[in-house]
Amino acid sequence: MCETCGCSNNEGFKIHDPAHTHDHGHNHDHNHDHNHDNGHFHSHSHDHEDDDHHDHSHGHTDQKVINLNLDILSRNNSVAQLNRRFFEGRKVLCLNLVSSPGSGKTTILEKTILALLPSRKIFVIEGDQQTLLDADRIQKAGAPAIQINTGSGCHLDAQMIDSALMKMDVESDSTLFIENVGNLVCPAMFDLGEYKRVVVISVTEGEDKPLKYPYMFQSSHLCLINKSDLLPYVDFRMEEAIRHARSINPALEFISVSAKSGEGMNLWYDWLTKQAESSLLSGKK
Amino acid sequence: MHEISLAYEVISLASHEAGKNRAQSIKEIAIEVGDLSGVESEAFGSALGLLVKDTMLETAVINIIRIKGRGRCNSCNREFEMNHRLDSCPDCNCFPSEISGGKEFRVVSLLVE
Repeated sequence: MCETCGCSNNEGFKIHDPAHTHDHGHNHDHNHDHNHDNGHFHSHSHDHEDDDHHDHSHGHTDQKVINLNLDILSRNNSVAQLNRRFFEGRKVLCLNLVSSPGSGKTTILEKTILALLPSRKIFVIEGDQQTLLDADRIQKAGAPAIQINTGSGCHLDAQMIDSALMKMDVESDSTLFIENVGNLVCPAMFDLGEYKRVVVISVTEGEDKPLKYPYMFQSSHLCLINKSDLLPYVDFRMEEAIRHARSINPALEFISVSAKSGEGMNLWYDWLTKQAESSLLSGKK
Repeated sequence: MHEISLAYEVISLASHEAGKNRAQSIKEIAIEVGDLSGVESEAFGSALGLLVKDTMLETAVINIIRIKGRGRCNSCNREFEMNHRLDSCPDCNCFPSEISGGKEFRVVSLLVE
């Protein structure tokens, strides 16, 4: 069964290396049975299971209680810790980029790659439900990229990153960007082993976004506010957005950028340099 | 809908633990879901009810225990019930407060046979 969505396909997610797309057919066995699952979503009730329980428990007394107190995210967190150790060992700065769809994460990465290559080695893991489009864009910009397609899944998890690391040789002393699935809800819960989490919002979104999606802002270290070139045309008040986000996470840092015009991008590059240095020193999140 | 992948993880964890105890089936599972854990307990319960088919949990009673959120004021140290992580202290109205409970998301126990 699929780890991502519970469907019966054994491969819940797919990892593509765009450099080898012609070796492997893709999309031919995608998860057509998701809707089938959804169709059954409301047909179950716990009462029904109660009945089953009584029906099946007749005569048996060989029962025992196993006390677990086991964190349900413990396996994801263990794999994330292994990923983190791997990055520390290789002196790789790993950043997890999260946002809603359309905030400009991929464009920010393209511009960052163009600006920082070749002095800095950059690798990218792209997460999207479908298509290789983002990984193709990143490779055109000049960085090796692996695409994870999550199928119907709404987030990347640590195991997917581990699998991607088997396919892409992330060199030592490099920066690895993980571009998460565009979604401000689900990726918040899943540690991937990153050194820091960067949440991207754009000025075309509401300034109250941090209040609506507090978990993501709570768990992030830096907030990039993108599309600053559009500020004259929208009702986005930068101070309000920052105030809202700081009310949830007082330690959150902010950089206002325009990936399109280049405004503020140097501050972002400086921040990356600072993180590369501090990740070597601290070795922990 | 990360509740679906979380539900699958629960099935996997529970089946693994039951297997270690040489159990044939799981009769009951108790899961704590904190109100501030980031998991919608109803969506999670529905997902789990759906996904247990053909697993060791198929006939299990699923007992989801909701844990209320609790906050501790950073200024006056008062502990209070927190329905939302943006709630301010009911005494001094200070904000933000530290979350002191309600982030639980764990399998507490299994009844196996």
